Amino acid sequence: MPENHDRDPVVFSSLSAYLLIASLLLTVSLGLALYNEFFGLRPWKDYQRQFKSRYAHFLEKEIPRQAAAEKAILGSAEYQDLQKKLKDAEEAARPNLNEIDSQVARIDQRLAGVTTEFTDKRAYVSSAIYIIERTSGERSRKRREENLEKFRKGPFRLRLPALDASGKIEDVSFTYDQLEEEFNRLREQKSNLLTQKVEVLRPVTELRHQAQTYVQDHLNGLGADQLKGLLKKTRSLSIEIKQIHNPDAHLVERCESCHLAIREPVVVTRQDMGGVKDRMAAAFTSHPSPELLQIHNPEKFGCTPCHNGNGMQVVSVQKAHGNYEHWLWPLYPRANFEAGCQQCHASDMVVDHAPMLSRGKELFQWRGCMGCHRFQGYDAETEDVTAVQQQIAQLEMKRQETQREIRAAIQLGDQAADNETARSFYQRAEALRVSTGDIDGRIEQLDYRARNLLQDIKKVGPSLKEVRVKLRAEWVPVWITNPHDFRPTTRMPRFRLDEDEVKSVAAFIWQSGVEGKLPVQPRGDAARGKESFETRGCLGCHSIGEGDNRTGGTFAANLTRVGEKVNYDYLVRWVHDPRERTRPYCPFEKRDLTEDDYKKHGKPFVFDPEHSECPNDGHELQVEQMTVMPSLRLSIQEARDIATYLMTQKEKDLASYPAAPYLSDVALKAEGLKVVQRYGCAGCHEIAGLETEGRIGTELTKEGSKPLEQFDFALLVTEAREQGWHSHKGFFEHKLQKPEMFDQGLIKAEGEELKMPNFNLKPEDITALTTFLMGAVDSTVPRQYQYLPSDQRRDVQEGWWLIKKYNCMGCHQFKVGQATGLEVLARFQTPEGKDQLPPKLLGEGARVSPDWLLRFLTNPALSKNDTDRNGIRPYLKTRMPTFYFSPNEVRKLVRFFQAMSSQPMPYIPPRLDPLTNQELTLARALFTSRAAPCLKCHATGDAGHDRYATAPNFLFAPERLKPGWTKRWLLDPSMISPGTAMPSGLFKRDGARWVFAGPTPPIFAGYEGDQADLLVRYMFAMTAEEQRRLVGMSAGAMKSAASVSRSDESHARLQVPAGQLLSQAH
Amino acid sequence: MDWHQLWEIVSAPDNVPIVGLIFLVPFYAWYGLRQAVANDRLIAQLEADPALAKTHHRKVFPFEKGWSKEVHVWPYLLRIEFLAAIIVTVILILWSISLDAPLEELANPNLTMNPAKAPWYFLGLQEMLVYFHPWMAGVVMPTLIIIGLMVIPYIDANPLGSGYYTWKQRKFAIGTFAFGFIVLWCSMIVIGTFIRGPGWMWFWPGQTWDPTRVVYEVNRDLHEVFGITSWPGKIIFGASAVGLYVVVAGFACHKLITLTEFSRKIYLRMNLLQYLTMQFFLVTMLSLPVKILLRLLLRINYVWVTPWFSL
Repeated sequence: MPENHDRDPVVFSSLSAYLLIASLLLTVSLGLALYNEFFGLRPWKDYQRQFKSRYAHFLEKEIPRQAAAEKAILGSAEYQDLQKKLKDAEEAARPNLNEIDSQVARIDQRLAGVTTEFTDKRAYVSSAIYIIERTSGERSRKRREENLEKFRKGPFRLRLPALDASGKIEDVSFTYDQLEEEFNRLREQKSNLLTQKVEVLRPVTELRHQAQTYVQDHLNGLGADQLKGLLKKTRSLSIEIKQIHNPDAHLVERCESCHLAIREPVVVTRQDMGGVKDRMAAAFTSHPSPELLQIHNPEKFGCTPCHNGNGMQVVSVQKAHGNYEHWLWPLYPRANFEAGCQQCHASDMVVDHAPMLSRGKELFQWRGCMGCHRFQGYDAETEDVTAVQQQIAQLEMKRQETQREIRAAIQLGDQAADNETARSFYQRAEALRVSTGDIDGRIEQLDYRARNLLQDIKKVGPSLKEVRVKLRAEWVPVWITNPHDFRPTTRMPRFRLDEDEVKSVAAFIWQSGVEGKLPVQPRGDAARGKESFETRGCLGCHSIGEGDNRTGGTFAANLTRVGEKVNYDYLVRWVHDPRERTRPYCPFEKRDLTEDDYKKHGKPFVFDPEHSECPNDGHELQVEQMTVMPSLRLSIQEARDIATYLMTQKEKDLASYPAAPYLSDVALKAEGLKVVQRYGCAGCHEIAGLETEGRIGTELTKEGSKPLEQFDFALLVTEAREQGWHSHKGFFEHKLQKPEMFDQGLIKAEGEELKMPNFNLKPEDITALTTFLMGAVDSTVPRQYQYLPSDQRRDVQEGWWLIKKYNCMGCHQFKVGQATGLEVLARFQTPEGKDQLPPKLLGEGARVSPDWLLRFLTNPALSKNDTDRNGIRPYLKTRMPTFYFSPNEVRKLVRFFQAMSSQPMPYIPPRLDPLTNQELTLARALFTSRAAPCLKCHATGDAGHDRYATAPNFLFAPERLKPGWTKRWLLDPSMISPGTAMPSGLFKRDGARWVFAGPTPPIFAGYEGDQADLLVRYMFAMTAEEQRRLVGMSAGAMKSAASVSRSDESHARLQVPAGQLLSQAH
Repeated sequence: MDWHQLWEIVSAPDNVPIVGLIFLVPFYAWYGLRQAVANDRLIAQLEADPALAKTHHRKVFPFEKGWSKEVHVWPYLLRIEFLAAIIVTVILILWSISLDAPLEELANPNLTMNPAKAPWYFLGLQEMLVYFHPWMAGVVMPTLIIIGLMVIPYIDANPLGSGYYTWKQRKFAIGTFAFGFIVLWCSMIVIGTFIRGPGWMWFWPGQTWDPTRVVYEVNRDLHEVFGITSWPGKIIFGASAVGLYVVVAGFACHKLITLTEFSRKIYLRMNLLQYLTMQFFLVTMLSLPVKILLRLLLRINYVWVTPWFSL
């Protein structure tokens, strides 16, 4: 301190300057705090202000444009015509209208006078009645009644205008009852007149409505007036939090505080709201799929159940989108936004509007992910079988228990002291005996179910029990080393095996294969085989040719190098019937049965779906190969041809494969078993001794909601964080891309490494699977919001699983826009080729009777003996195969088709009026008329004719079709099945009925009935005899039809063999 | 050196008070001591001047002859306090505008954070849990800390040094408090904030917090080191070890209490109860760093294990 300090600084120093500065700072900070409170913390306010001005600007630009469009429509001749008609109608209605209006006016005047008087008196009477009702004293009650009576007599004098045109004022006098009557009469008159008025105005109203809808139909988007309404609404938009609150679903969402245009009825793009680069503009767009909002009302579903993010946050974009540490459900990224569908649509295999997610779901099944990873809904049959078998075991125990109780009850009855007691014990024994019957019944049903389920279980990969009969030994190690080398598109993934492991696995598989002798098959004709292979429909699932040369479906194996791997004899058996096994498997004894097992019990060595009982213990056997590949019901010769053709499919010389003598090395088997178990090979393949192996992977049903911390990023966790993929998405994508990556840098004991193999997935498949897994969450949405329908929609849900399981879409179209595997092939591009395509199944449920469909799906040949054919369309080379569906699956499929077309189940066929003799003659004439030569395309059962037929035989119609559909089909087939060869416009409207559009035969003169109906009724009465008669009749007609030139190409094509037909028809 | 992570830890809104603490506590300690030393010098100067020593002048630096011995609270103290209050208010407002409260979303019982840390003012207690049985660290010690702070005026037999900063006259009191507060309490908070990472493992500043890190840190009880297995053996051994510590620590504290002429004078002014209370709290306080060192350097878990409690 300086020496010259002579005054005490504590007392004399001034703090004013400091105080002033501090106070100023305080004021500034308070200002800052207020600014922060009103603006900084509430960025949505700025959004709303911006939205108001930008959207208003957009609407202002839009209104004149729409107004101009509207003006153009209003100026159109059609609209002017409508307006003129409207004016005329108004003119015509005017005299009547004026008369009615004047009458109503007069009634109103009189009614006004009556009403005032009447309501006043009525009020008095009502209150008087109330008092009388509540009066207990006899005398006073009587007095009041008398008073009321006096009052009702009146008289009440009124001055009312008369009803007639003169309108003179008249004096009238009424009692109360008369007054009431007058009041009611006037009102009735008035309402009658008003009804009349509506009637008179009806043509005017209708025309006005037509004019309005005309404008709406022709104007793209909203009209100028509606836009002006929006503009007004936007201008008066108040700056406030916009909130959706649904306490039912625990939803509080403020997303629309910034996303203000999301529900606007006009399409608003980023460009409209400030440009593609403007960050704020992105928030102001309308929802890209308004149709989804229609299904999922935002008031009910909100935003976050689908999109994730923190719906309550409004302080920053980052927080609202949930992209911060503490929010566990961040907004789904653009590439994976369909993940949100999964939490409610987990039971669906196919989700409309979500192609990416559907692809993911399909891939999960198709690539066999559920072989290692349990996922609820996938591979459900296996789990169901276990559950059913447990139930059976429990019931069997209960049965034994009951038997014991019965014996005990009888014993007690025998020892009872008196008859009464004895009887009650015997009764009890009786009741128990009856209950065992119930148990037996239930066991039987469960057995049946188990049998169905066993039939339904399919494996992703082929059975490895057959390797010895199926494969060339040298090929096995080559394949195991890297399947993608041999067949780049294979579903089999590549496992990280070293050379020793490959050897031991190959040896184990080879040695665990069953022994069996196949009949030696002679070689067929490869050229014929190629033709069969390409026409029978094999290419619906299989493909041939690698890379750019590839043709065919992607569902099943690419057969380009199949000749390098298989034995010819086995291939013949496989093509002929892929379900055929070398030996049946008994799940009870857990072994493959041999011929000796059958011999022991004196039974023939026969096993198929009809002979599926174990000779040793009577349990249900696995008698089919667990493959989805169906039987095409080919002749053995055709199977040989195809097999011969396939054997020519080679790229490498067979001799170039190194010999693999170690396959028979018994010492390697134990080591191989260990490796096979470690990698869970039995998840996809049937392997002897490993039939009951469990899954080796983690369950994925709720993987998307597993906390991120529980994902093992191992040493990459820091890297992942820094590179921004420390997320569910990042983990899934990297894991699928390179499954072993999380082992990187870790020191692990042998066998402890990550097991997941490399699936060689394409980037888009990785995205699809990632989307699926991200969506696989423990749903927070209440159950009633999830898509768990109990009506027909459930049948549709269940059906899609089967459609995908068996790849029905390889040949058939189920939805408009879905391409089948076959229709893209070059062979089916020509008009002739198009006729050879399998039928489209749009509206199949409305078309066919469910009973018939059930029979057809069970046996598509519709014949027990003659199976080498298509039951319904013998003219198709493409074969509808036999899938050996279990009753369980057939039922599901039939229900699926019925539900897809909203048909009620069970189906009760409507009764059709029988044809009169006259009608029969008429129908025959129409059927064979030159203008409608039905039998030209439709098969008749005549082999010669059917070779050129392109439509089914009418004989099937009564059992197969539904009459209502048949009529609709006749009227407009292209509406039901676009692109069908069946000509449209065969019938035209004539008043209330349909008549044939072409020249009708002269005998139709005077027939007043509906001609389409007539044809339908005739078709449903079709018999073989009738058909023969028709063929005879139409031969002449067809001859002349040949000269009629028709634009329809498929019909035109048939003109060539017409002469031939003539000769064959007789 | 993981600068990115270090910055993340330092800049986390939770940790800002502790970053402040690292700088502010030493600063104010230094600032207070500077005033104390200045005062001490003034006192020595006044006492050396017999004229001034007679009159009771104020002992607060600065002081000149003729200045009043006392000044009024109003306005001389309150105006400074008012100024300070304004400045603190400004700081708090700016702080609260710039850093949002680190509140998180609804707790998810299936997902616990790692590391899970207490609020900064409790981090010292949480750190103590590493070294002591939860009953000791969570209940007994905090209670003793509060009681210990409460008894200070009752065991303080030093009549000097109230109302002004002084080091010379209160060396023992200031030293003990600085040890307890700065050395133990604050450093434990700093350790809890900056050193303890996932799994509550010890990460040096700048070392990456790797949640998958594995360390070999197996703790043993003291009796295991000596191979004692029977219960009576364990109890007796542990009791003697603790007893030995009490004797040694008590002796050391006694030496400290009676270190200088001045402190011996104070010691003589204390009665037995005051002395024993002081000894009890000193020995208890000292047990904390002793236990920390035992754990960190020798990996000793408990010294005294009984079926009822462990120390």
